[in-house]
Amino acid sequence: MSETTFTVPVGPQHPALKEPENLMISVDGERVVDVKIRLGYVHRGGEKAFEARNYTQGLYLVERICGICAMAHQLCYANNIEALLGVTVPRRADYIRTIIAELERIHSHLLWVGVAGHEIGWDTLFMYTWRDREVVLDLMELATGNRVTHATNAIGGVRRDLTPEMISQISKGMRHLEERVKYYASMIPKERTIMKRAVGVGILKPQDAVALCAVGPTLRASGIKRDVRRDDPYSAYDEIPFEVVTHDGCDVAARVMVRVGELFESIKIANYALEHLPSGPVRVRVPINVPAGENVSLVEAPRGEDIHYCKSNGTDKPERYKVRAPTLANWASVATMLKGGYVADIPIALAAIDPCMSCTDRMTFTDVSSNKMWHWTIEDLRRHSAKWHGK
Amino acid sequence: MQNEIAKSLVKKPSTLLYPFEKYESIPGSRGKVVFDMTKCIGCGLCIRDCPAFAIEMVGKGITCDMKWYATRCVFCGQCVEVCPRAAITQETNYDLASGDKSSLIFEYKRPRPS
Amino acid sequence: MAWEVAVYNLLSVLVYPGIIFLVALALFYQWVDRRFFAKLQNRYGPIYTGPGGVLQPLADLIKLLAKEDIEPAAVDKPLFKAVPILLLTLTLTALFMIPITGPSALVWFEGDLIFIIFILSLIAILAFLGGWGSTNMFSTIGGMRAALQSLGYEVPMAVSFIGPAIMAGSLSISKIVEWQSSTAGYWTILLNPLGFGIVIVAFLAELERIPFDIPEAETEIVAGWQTEFSGRKLALIRLTFDLELILASGLIAALYLGGPTGPIPLIPGIVWYIIKTLIIVLIFANLRALFARFRIDQMVSGSWKYLVPLAIVQIVILELLLR
Repeated sequence: MSETTFTVPVGPQHPALKEPENLMISVDGERVVDVKIRLGYVHRGGEKAFEARNYTQGLYLVERICGICAMAHQLCYANNIEALLGVTVPRRADYIRTIIAELERIHSHLLWVGVAGHEIGWDTLFMYTWRDREVVLDLMELATGNRVTHATNAIGGVRRDLTPEMISQISKGMRHLEERVKYYASMIPKERTIMKRAVGVGILKPQDAVALCAVGPTLRASGIKRDVRRDDPYSAYDEIPFEVVTHDGCDVAARVMVRVGELFESIKIANYALEHLPSGPVRVRVPINVPAGENVSLVEAPRGEDIHYCKSNGTDKPERYKVRAPTLANWASVATMLKGGYVADIPIALAAIDPCMSCTDRMTFTDVSSNKMWHWTIEDLRRHSAKWHGK
Repeated sequence: MQNEIAKSLVKKPSTLLYPFEKYESIPGSRGKVVFDMTKCIGCGLCIRDCPAFAIEMVGKGITCDMKWYATRCVFCGQCVEVCPRAAITQETNYDLASGDKSSLIFEYKRPRPS
Repeated sequence: MAWEVAVYNLLSVLVYPGIIFLVALALFYQWVDRRFFAKLQNRYGPIYTGPGGVLQPLADLIKLLAKEDIEPAAVDKPLFKAVPILLLTLTLTALFMIPITGPSALVWFEGDLIFIIFILSLIAILAFLGGWGSTNMFSTIGGMRAALQSLGYEVPMAVSFIGPAIMAGSLSISKIVEWQSSTAGYWTILLNPLGFGIVIVAFLAELERIPFDIPEAETEIVAGWQTEFSGRKLALIRLTFDLELILASGLIAALYLGGPTGPIPLIPGIVWYIIKTLIIVLIFANLRALFARFRIDQMVSGSWKYLVPLAIVQIVILELLLR
């Protein structure tokens, strides 16, 4: 580090971040030289909380890991527990879960386009996309009862059925959204001010992306075709035809185009599922106690691959529940993306991985020398900090 | 983009002027929880399944009263689902904010023969 | 009598068209700008305080004046205290030379156009010094960007001022306005629309508005060079920001659109002034809603690659047309 570099702390409080994380960025003039990432500001002790609640209570806790990925987390949890119980969910419930999950993907991507516009200083795009997002939120309230944290999944199916009235409303909403997304898809590549800020910024080469375990649109924008819905289908994705959108640009502009492409795909999937909705029950009854076993389930959240692991012991509370949210996997690539770029590119490059800090923080300590690994709860943290500050 | 912006000049703004214009809740949206104490049998299933520990039983069994903490509730609707006598319902009323915490703890008393 | 003239001059400087009138006009223009900008984005803007929200900028100013003025221990104290006051006084000084109520301003002399260019450069240097004196890394980056940006827009701006001066044959703004309203003259924009375009772009950069609000980029460096200022100092800086808008629009109106004069003789000059400057404010607001923010290297290189050659071209065309 030469004498002309100094360290700019981005976070924990910073207007570019919607949630707190800390990046210590060493800059030389306008060039970024080095990035050190410190996570953990949104650690809430969720995994310990799972062990103190029974499986039904856990359904509502799991969707509060993240507001935008709520349906994805709950779907992953429900799939996990159903696999441990050995029950199969009725086909109609699978389709309804797919529809709500794709609606959530549309919501998340529209929100992201607005946030990206705000990061580069273009508030008009922010206002317009968030106005269009209201359409999706109203559809969610119609179908599930709440705008976010939908809580539609139950262990064994979904809690609410879709009436024909709801189906026609959702179709109408999809038609309106398709028009708006077509407008954005045609406008963004032609808008020179956006393209000048996004092309060539935040480069992540394909071999780096694979080596650093990037997931989701960040990975697909480097040209690698990996999507859990295609590689390991769950719910109704094995019966619905759709394309996995990739792009070869490896920069922020490519990530924008991947997300816009995914918006089109989500609208198509939702329309197909609505038309081919099978009839039948939407829920099966499940016992309270889950037999002992272990299971891992994967789901493609809007931000990437979401992994949940559960270990049950025959009671009505899980023994251990572990969540690996997609943003945690994308943080390692952030350092590679930011190095060598400009300070002005930090917010947009960071926003391009669609960071959801609430998903990120789980604290695991690894002592390399003695090969031990242990976890801390919020109580342990508090005790440690009291001791550390008190001395 | 210029003509899109120019079109916005003649459209009505999309903002809802809350609290002068109220938001019409869609029927079925999850709001305030109401207990019908004429149907409640005091089984306690709602308390077992509430993820936020927002329901409290005052007394025991068939003669109990129920207390609902709006300050803790997450409005998930699990209690509505699990009640065997359908004694719990949810209104669409979301406008529960208040400056006084004690007004947000709702006590549902069983009608007693006078 | 000498003392009557003195009192009249004092009232002109302090009240009309002096400081109080200018401050009120600045707050009014901020309201117009915010409402129009909001309408372009399909939302409302300020609508509650006062009729239609007109008192909102005043409410914001009073709120800032009443807040705590925090001075970090590591700042350069004389510089930190002086920058907001100097910014305000310089802008007000420049405003006295813009014709507002009639063809001649409160203060005019031959060459006051060059004096205004000098004051505008001083304002940019003060922004840099404000960021430097704050010894906060966000402020330092913002100050550096302010200085870099002034390297980009100063030359095209100054060259686009010379066009109307050549046509009117004088370097005094008041004389240029008088020439445009006289029988031998005409609005300079009719012969020189390219200069008008360049001066609008250059002033967008000077006013630090999107697409050129790089020194104050909110999502990147918190508030740029203004980060450490709070309370009364920030109130003065915000007031300067609004007064600069009047300065910019008044200068463009005086140089290119004929200033506070118009074809209908009975309407007072102030009405023409307000109409023309409002049009320019609306143009600025429209450009704000249309573009994203540029990066500093793109701004400086774009300015030297496109704006400066275009400015020179417009002078050459003007000379050819006038011969």
